This record gives sequence, C-alpha cells and structure tokens, in this order.
Amino acid sequence: MAAEITWWVFAVAVVAAAAGVVFSGNVIHSAIFLILSLAGVAGMYLFLTVEFMALVQLLIYGGGVSVLILLALMLTRMDMGGQKEKVNGAQMPFALLVAGGLMAVLVGVALGTDWGPGADGGPANVSIDLIGIRLFEDFGAPFVIASVVLLVALIGSIILARDEEE
Amino acid sequence: MIPLENYLLLSGILFALGAYGVLARRSAVMILMSVELMLNAVSLNFIAFAAYLDPSQITGVIFAVFVITVAAAEVALALSIVIRLFRLRATSNVDEAANLKW
Repeated sequence: MAAEITWWVFAVAVVAAAAGVVFSGNVIHSAIFLILSLAGVAGMYLFLTVEFMALVQLLIYGGGVSVLILLALMLTRMDMGGQKEKVNGAQMPFALLVAGGLMAVLVGVALGTDWGPGADGGPANVSIDLIGIRLFEDFGAPFVIASVVLLVALIGSIILARDEEE
Repeated sequence: MIPLENYLLLSGILFALGAYGVLARRSAVMILMSVELMLNAVSLNFIAFAAYLDPSQITGVIFAVFVITVAAAEVALALSIVIRLFRLRATSNVDEAANLKW
C-alpha cells in the first residue's frame, strides 16, 4: 500500500512539473521544472526495478542536459527593457486542440487495450547483468554506432558554436 | 501492485504536454525542453513495457539507452544552432527565423 501511495506522489509530481515546463511564462522556471520532471521519471524507473536506467537518467539529464539548457538560456537572453516576452505564438489554441486530442487518443488506447497476462502483476525484476549482456553482446554494433553519433555531434556542435573570426 | 496501464497513462499525459509545448511555445530553447519531455515519455513507455511484458529480453530498456544517447547528441547540436542563430539575429524566437519556410 505504501508503494502505491509513493507511486502516486511521484506521478503527480512528474505531471505537475511537466505542466510547469510548458505553461510557465519564465524560461528559467521552465528549466527548473524540467529538472524536477526528469528526476521524477528517474524515480519511476526505480519503481520499474531498472535502477541502472534511473542512475543514467539522473546523470545525463539531471547533470548534463539540464546544465546545457540553462547555459544556453543564459547565453540567449535578451534585455527586453522590462517588457514581458510573448510566451505563446498565435497558434496556441490549435496547439491546445492537437495536444488534447493526442492525450485523449493515448489514454483511450492505454485503457482500451488488453495488454496480456503480464500487465496486472508488478514489474519483473530487471537485473543489471541482463542489461549488460543485451547491450554489449546482442546490441554491440548499434552501441558502437551510437558512440560514433556522439563523436560527430560533439565535433559538430563545437564547429557550429565557435567564433568565426579567430 | 501498480498495473502497467498507470505507466502508460503517465507517459501519454507527459507526451501530450510535450507536444503542446512544441506547438505553442515560440522560444527555440523552450521547444527543445518540450522535445526532451516527449523523449522522456517515450523512454518511460519503453521501459515499462520491457519490465512488465518482456522481462527475459528487455529490448525496451536497450531502446531507452539509445533514446537517451540520441537525445544527448540532439540537445548539444540544437543548442549550438540556437546560440549561432542568436549571434546572427539577436533572437531565439523560431518565428523570426522562417526564411526557409515556403
């Protein structure tokens, strides 16, 4: 019972923080809400017994991506002269409609489908040994390609962001 | 016991919120943050399915590893493009960088 209550606290926190990201008028507040939401999803991975992914989530999103986003925000902030920046574009009602429809479809599919016998019990214990075997043996080639992707992204972002006149 | 549907509902709501952010917000960094929300919803979905329905293979967890890898690369590249755009145009509003729009 205690686990259920904790789960719901986490779920409400994740959704509330995500709503804060998209509805907050201040971009810095949005970034802080984003960190909260990503940390909440890491907690969800703990509930799913995938501790490795929870740690990866905290390290990469909580440590890397959020710092990167905060730095970019500070580098691209303009002094608006006390005038408030316009938050949403003219397409905001349309976006509300599309997102609402998308949510209705996703919720309907999640509730209306029979997910089979495994869906009603708890999550099976996912051992970190199995993750390692699957990642390095069965998915070894994609893993190497992913490292090349990261290297190219690293070089590309250095070239894009550096000063032209040296 | 938390049934699988709870995770699916949570990730569906997260994905819809992220989609709203991508469509409604006009700051490039805000759009990027909303994309991160959507990617997280997808990872949560993959891992939930893996832990409940596929515990002997856990292909969903491997998928989530690659989603996080590509998301990290995407954020680094997109933010350097945003910084370059800001240097050229002194704005990070995507509506003011619509020269390629037909």
